[in-house]
Amino acid sequence: MEVKVLFFGVLTEVTGTACKHYFDVFNLGDLKHRVIDDFPEIVHYNFRIALNNQIIDGDHELQSSDEVVYLPPFAGG
Amino acid sequence: MSENYLVDGPIPTSFIASYIEAFAFRTDAGGHSFFIGQVRADILDNKKVIAIEYSAYESMVEAEADNIKSRVLSEFNDVKSITIIHSKGLVKAGEVSLAVMVSAGHRQQAIQACSLAVEMIKKNLPVWKKEIYEDDSYSWKENK
Repeated sequence: MEVKVLFFGVLTEVTGTACKHYFDVFNLGDLKHRVIDDFPEIVHYNFRIALNNQIIDGDHELQSSDEVVYLPPFAGG
Repeated sequence: MSENYLVDGPIPTSFIASYIEAFAFRTDAGGHSFFIGQVRADILDNKKVIAIEYSAYESMVEAEADNIKSRVLSEFNDVKSITIIHSKGLVKAGEVSLAVMVSAGHRQQAIQACSLAVEMIKKNLPVWKKEIYEDDSYSWKENK
């Protein structure tokens, strides 16, 4: 059971990476806690989370090969 | 078929001319409305912006840009075509980083549709920018 987590924008600096894999994590709530454990500074930043290209709120079950993305506020255009 | 909305570096101005030339054959169009976004040399704390580095969540850019096009085409029945191009990577001050080009039978919908598309891009496109200053320092920006 493996989930890919992507970081964008300023969060690539906060975490020191653009991509990290997490194993044996079955819901988004648990994944968020594991990300905070690994990168405690992330709690000071605004972001939304997308699961497989869809922005979501709240908890959600995770499947193997899901892609979870941490999206800081957009700045396009 | 997936459309490529992102280009590496600045958008060549020749893209914009090519769009107009391609429309020479579409004689159902009476007007084009363009928004061309350019990197501006803002000054922050006495430091001038020399470039912006853009990054993007590419698969979601595709989904969101598709969504913007669908919304525009469904809301504006006189619009014949909409093209969206956004830079990724480094774009220097004075260079073009966004092109939104809308063609319609008449001017009113061309202008309104272009305006809507630009606002939706600002709000929904998963793109980030790092302003780079003349002393090589930088800061991350957010759309307000």
